[in-house]
Amino acid sequence: MEFRKTAGKPIRCRAAVARKAGEPLVIEEVIIAPPKPHEVRIRIICTSLCHSDITFWKLKDPPGYFPRILGHEAVGVVESVGDGVDEVTEGDNVIPVFLSDCGECADCKSKKSNLCSKLPFKVSPWMHRDETSRFMDLNGETLYHFLFVSSFSEYTVVDIAHVVKVDPAVPPNRACLLSCGVSTGVGAAFRTANVEAGSTVAIFGLGAIGLAVAEGARLSGASRIIGVDMNPDKFEIGKKFGVTEFVNPASCTEKPLSEVIKEMTDGGADYCFECVGLASLVQDAYACCRKGWGKTVVLGVDKPGAEVSFSSFEVLHSGKILTGSLFGALKPKSDIPILVKRYMDKELQLNDFVTHEMRFEDINKAFDLLIGGNCLRCVIWMNK
Amino acid sequence: MVLTRPSQTAGKPIRCKAAICRNPGEALVIEEIEVAPPKTWEVRIKIICTSLCHTDVTFWKLSTGPFAVFPRIFGHEAVGVVESVGEQVEEVSEGDMVVPVFSPHCGQCRDCLSTKSNICTRFPPAHLPGMPSDGTSRFTDAGGHPIHHYLYVSSFSEFTVVDVNNVVKLDCGIPADKACLLGCGVSTGVGAAWKVAEVEEGSTVAIFGLGAVGLAVGEGARMLGASKIIGVDLNPAKFELGKKFGFTDFINPSDLTEKSVSQVIGEMTDGGADYSFECIGLASVMQDAFNSSRPGWGRTVVIGMEMQGAPLTLNSYELLRGKTIVGSMFGGIKAKTDIPILAKNT
Repeated sequence: MEFRKTAGKPIRCRAAVARKAGEPLVIEEVIIAPPKPHEVRIRIICTSLCHSDITFWKLKDPPGYFPRILGHEAVGVVESVGDGVDEVTEGDNVIPVFLSDCGECADCKSKKSNLCSKLPFKVSPWMHRDETSRFMDLNGETLYHFLFVSSFSEYTVVDIAHVVKVDPAVPPNRACLLSCGVSTGVGAAFRTANVEAGSTVAIFGLGAIGLAVAEGARLSGASRIIGVDMNPDKFEIGKKFGVTEFVNPASCTEKPLSEVIKEMTDGGADYCFECVGLASLVQDAYACCRKGWGKTVVLGVDKPGAEVSFSSFEVLHSGKILTGSLFGALKPKSDIPILVKRYMDKELQLNDFVTHEMRFEDINKAFDLLIGGNCLRCVIWMNK
Repeated sequence: MVLTRPSQTAGKPIRCKAAICRNPGEALVIEEIEVAPPKTWEVRIKIICTSLCHTDVTFWKLSTGPFAVFPRIFGHEAVGVVESVGEQVEEVSEGDMVVPVFSPHCGQCRDCLSTKSNICTRFPPAHLPGMPSDGTSRFTDAGGHPIHHYLYVSSFSEFTVVDVNNVVKLDCGIPADKACLLGCGVSTGVGAAWKVAEVEEGSTVAIFGLGAVGLAVGEGARMLGASKIIGVDLNPAKFELGKKFGFTDFINPSDLTEKSVSQVIGEMTDGGADYSFECIGLASVMQDAFNSSRPGWGRTVVIGMEMQGAPLTLNSYELLRGKTIVGSMFGGIKAKTDIPILAKNT
């Protein structure tokens, strides 16, 4: 009912605009164009801050672009749809996702990949299909998109391939978590690693991603979940997600971290997950995993162009497997509803991921909290 | 020394010829040596034939580091006949045809019992210079000085002593000159396609380096029904040879002026190869192989042993895009169970 007045017309609303790299976002009025064919205009209910937003917020050069509307983890309601969109309609609750799921290309059809090749993943400043923007500030200047979502705005426009319909019964401050972080971690444990019951798992970096991996490993029946983090406060928090033991690399003074973990696990962990986005940590994780069958999974997003280095001799002789994934190898449209159901059935825990909630006006505080290392997910409500 | 009745030499040292490397990179010298009888759990083998593998060459040249030990008897790809066995050995007996292997298979440790690994953890790594059980040598030269072993095999000798965990019995009547290839190169290549990559029918495969190992990977991929087998080599003569092993396409990197090898492979395979294999031992080629694999499900297998100790460097973002890389010793083969299977299928 509320949307019939705005369909087909530009909407004027508030957005938190990143005008300069690393500087606080500015809440200002912007103009959101109506959706073109295959697009959906969404009124955001709430959005949460993910570390990848911070990584690209700080980046002065492409793929850092300014002025930009950041944010990619969110939940909202469809305000209007462009031509050719049948999958969702006005009033539907939806989760926008940075990863496309067109359902038609060879990759979307294959069980072995979640990387849509029709609309491939990239850190783009535009809408996916026509590479233009739907955002303008009040001076008529174009504002750039982020990860095809741009959720730090009361309204946004997203390609239908990046939209997942979701049960409205899920509280919004839980649904938004499945838009990126928690799905990535849980998916990595289930699908990228395929952790089996009785496994030993080591998780490097106990942010929301790492703890989501722990949650996924717990649900998969891992017997030991070792959390590695420089912040001792994370251990208490980690216990809620199934972390059984804790190692602080800062206290590994006599022996290197890899020796400590190999001793704890009689040779190395079956699965190691890097959840920060640091080459040196990826190398540590690889060193900590078991010779012969150990698998190291890279989830953390490092700066563009980052490289990891290994001893070729070690790679050959250890037989260890090194891999990684985006969005935990999950296919957004089919897998997010599965996670939603598991949450509603009280199997998947989401509540403890939300450590802070705030109003849209206070969005910059969320950045401070996440950079300070003292929060997991800060949920920002657009209209409270 | 011609062995006609093994029972005459059992329990005694044997005098025979061996090709010894006295200094790194120097021509091997054929000398008379003495081979001690096998201790408990060991087997003394009369070598019928042995083949040269590039890894022998790599270690032969090595002048620095913990693996550079001389004088040494190289060779690790061979076939022979059991001359005598030490105490406790029941698995093989005098007269059996056996392939000694550098990759041990005790059958009892956690890794041997797992289907997911072929890295037996019973013994220390094979690069140590002595016997796996006690680190000592069974070889002495004419002056009475010990000569180091190599990869637990040391097949460039008329007789050698090998731990029973490094011995595979063959009883299917395979000719000796085919059997010795199963000791390393061919098993490694076929195994990499079969067990490590698990190439399935219709797959696209890219193989970097068309030596014996690379050609064996091609053969393995062909047997498994790969639809496209792309060979990458700087030597155009390898292309004709490769056709015999099932290769369908060839790329010579020195012919490419504008595009990189991985770009060309990406175009040939509509996005990247399902499986890529590095079969040379050069970190830069391992990187090329990784870059040539398909995002989402592409798997790269590193088989070559890096010749200069260069590190393997990968782009983090390619890992996030779902590419997998794994190194493999002996192509994932569990010697005692898998080599007889390969021998039967030869």
